[in-house]
Amino acid sequence: MKWGTLCPVIDDARTTVRYSKLVDRNEILRALRAFETTGLEYVLIGAAAMGFHGLVRATEDLDLFIRATAENVERLRTALSVVYDDDPHIAEIVATDLLGEYPAVRYYPPTGDLYFDVLTRLGEAASFETIDAEVKDIDGTLVRVATPAALYKMKKGTVRLQDQADAAALRERFNLKDEE
Amino acid sequence: MPVQKFRSIEEMNKAALPADREPHFERFLRHCERYWAIAPKRYPRGVFKFRNIEEAQKAREKHSV
Repeated sequence: MKWGTLCPVIDDARTTVRYSKLVDRNEILRALRAFETTGLEYVLIGAAAMGFHGLVRATEDLDLFIRATAENVERLRTALSVVYDDDPHIAEIVATDLLGEYPAVRYYPPTGDLYFDVLTRLGEAASFETIDAEVKDIDGTLVRVATPAALYKMKKGTVRLQDQADAAALRERFNLKDEE
Repeated sequence: MPVQKFRSIEEMNKAALPADREPHFERFLRHCERYWAIAPKRYPRGVFKFRNIEEAQKAREKHSV
């Protein structure tokens, strides 16, 4: 089964589509705690990062840049396995992809409420190493979050309407200039 | 300041929101919770791989039902 340009490796479990169960707001917190516990080197970007900066909008995913090393991908797998009870699909997140031809991997956990977009690079412009970040504390969990300026830089040039709206909100709230 | 009054919508839009009494991220979590309750989505399970962010975006649109 092929999904356009998506990875063609599809099994029966993956084709199972269902409505999300009861929403679990703590799912995000559990994931962030697991990231910290496993020592994952990451930077939170996207709507969740904007939420840390006071620009609150809903989202269905958690976007993160991770440091592109095999050890770090292993940490990511370990963290997700803790949160999602050893979901066998997690084994499909492999360093050879993220460090190679597929710098963007999306993981849909069994809960169905939330998914993860994991990036190792964004074109030639952005990677874990190049994104300015700051550490935030949420319920005792330390989270590495992209700065407003870094988020703005990533979002301002994209064609996605939501990103353009986010960029406008960041620019206005933090008085950002295009050169920042 | 539970109630604010404005003479126009422009004045309302310019008004500062009340000072935050809780961490921003808590508001974000509560907002997502409401959103997910109002607009539940269905997703496939598993791992999908993309060569670039454009591919990832197209897949997002395809899978959001």
